[in-house]
Amino acid sequence: MSATQILFWILSVVALFSAIMVLLSKNPVHSVLWLIAVFFSISGHYILLNAQFLAIVNMIVYAGAIMVLFLFVVMLMNLNKETEPQKNLWLKLAGVVSGGCLLMILVSLIRQASEVTNKQVLLKDGNIGLIKNLGKALFSDYVVPFEISSVLFLSAMIGAVVIGKKN
Amino acid sequence: MNSIIVSALMGMVMMFSGIVTNSKQSIKNIAIAAMAVLLVAHLADANDIFKININVHGMLNFNRFGMYFTTLVIGATLLYTIISGDEVVKVGANSADYFALIFFVLTGVSILASYNNLLMLFLGIEILTIPLFVLTGSDKKNLKSNEASLKYFLMGSFSTGIMLMGIALYYGASGNFNIDVNRVANEPVNSGILIPLGLLLMFIALAFKVSAAPFHFWTPDVYDGAPTVFTSFMATIVKAAGFIAFIRLFESRSADMGVSWTILMPVIIIATLLVGNVTAVFQQSVKRMLAYSSIAQAGFMLFALVGLNDVAKEGLLLYTVAYSIATIGIFSILLKMKDYTFEGYNGLAKTQPLLAFANTVFLLSLAGIPLTAGFFAKYYVLAAALKQDTSILWLVIVALVFAAISAYYYFKVIQAMYFKDGEAAVSEIKPSFKLTLLLLAAIIIIVGIFPTVVFNWFYF
Repeated sequence: MSATQILFWILSVVALFSAIMVLLSKNPVHSVLWLIAVFFSISGHYILLNAQFLAIVNMIVYAGAIMVLFLFVVMLMNLNKETEPQKNLWLKLAGVVSGGCLLMILVSLIRQASEVTNKQVLLKDGNIGLIKNLGKALFSDYVVPFEISSVLFLSAMIGAVVIGKKN
Repeated sequence: MNSIIVSALMGMVMMFSGIVTNSKQSIKNIAIAAMAVLLVAHLADANDIFKININVHGMLNFNRFGMYFTTLVIGATLLYTIISGDEVVKVGANSADYFALIFFVLTGVSILASYNNLLMLFLGIEILTIPLFVLTGSDKKNLKSNEASLKYFLMGSFSTGIMLMGIALYYGASGNFNIDVNRVANEPVNSGILIPLGLLLMFIALAFKVSAAPFHFWTPDVYDGAPTVFTSFMATIVKAAGFIAFIRLFESRSADMGVSWTILMPVIIIATLLVGNVTAVFQQSVKRMLAYSSIAQAGFMLFALVGLNDVAKEGLLLYTVAYSIATIGIFSILLKMKDYTFEGYNGLAKTQPLLAFANTVFLLSLAGIPLTAGFFAKYYVLAAALKQDTSILWLVIVALVFAAISAYYYFKVIQAMYFKDGEAAVSEIKPSFKLTLLLLAAIIIIVGIFPTVVFNWFYF
């Protein structure tokens, strides 16, 4: 086994174990912490696939921003045994339906997997996920939207100040 | 390109003017001057005198129609700043920032009037709406304003999500973001489900922005809750910008929707006209009536989308002028009233004859009475639809019936002003306000008698 394969197996085991722990943890805060572990191991997979930018963004956006938001919500809602919301039948049914849809997609993916094994899945030379190439695209072809989005952020910042400032 | 860059720059100028001076009067004057500079810069661009040239990689396409539309919108905003600037600075402590946000909205409008790429459409729509969430909630002490802002933000976020989903589907099926505003002749119609579905989702998101039924539910609450000056801005300039985004996207792409387009449009139009007009009849507050009337007017503007030809473009330009000027005028008078109900207008003609006269002109224009700009605006969009497809005659007749209904609630205000006794409580009115109001009324009447003055500039 090469080093890449060993890393792949380790990351997969960590990802699956953490994902199961997300479900099994009784304490919601622990669930969120396990979820962060899942995102980190998935970021490792991205690096193995030569997609460094995606790996970094996954860590910053999901493990960083979104999970912190989750933690805030969980802590603010102060979830424990007594305040646990009643799960009625319809809620369970909705959960089964949405989970079933995901399962169907996963099963169909695995069934199709045999068709794409040993086929070339690289785009061009496989370097499309590198930050260097992304930067080049961003500052040449897409420079106009990139610069114009600064107006968007500026207006959002003014908004935050206008709404948040004490009179 | 001038208008995009200069409006963003002027927004920053307004931001920093708040640091330099605290005087509300001078902030208002800076805003008017900055708006005039923006208008001049844009006119220089439109007349090929001075252009800022940037390689946009085909993402923006500055055609004559878009440029002219931007001119009209900037002109309307200039009039808005002159007539309602005093009220803008009164809303809260951050008066310079409100003007900065208005300039950023104009950046969004300029992008929407020239986009050629779905990426730019998304950015334009976002730059257009995010400042509006803030302006809606700018009256921080007022609970209704807070509620309106939160509602608008949540609903607006959902509609953005729907639009992104549509753009993603379109990108997935076609492989690029370009929509080619100038569709190549004999370009094959795309087959498959993804592109029509993507366009449908974008249609829904845009219909939300222009408050077409059944995506109008946010409109009355947001327009009613927002500070009245900003309602005036939202109901006119922003709504018109939504329509230019609409017409640019579907001018070239409606063919991809196939037969579903010909079914979709009449359904949306009738629903919009029905909801807007019938609900407006039952309103007690003039501000809320105007919110529903803006839904109803959107129903007429949608006829430009049925037409999608040159007459429709002329109609949309004319409608933008007629509707924006009239609504800005009505709102500027509403802002001077102490009582926003119909009873509040009782006897206005006796105490303030000039205000009552100008208000009558604006209301007649909205109702589409001949000799006002509103008549020709309605005429052109309906004629455009008929020119495209004569079998749509029944829809035009339905629209005319609803136009007759709309006359009822507009005339209720006129009746209150002229034929009912009462003491209309009005706040202090400056002579300059009266002068600007007369100017607006004059524009409405001149365009109503010679509608071609608007187009002469378009084709010159």
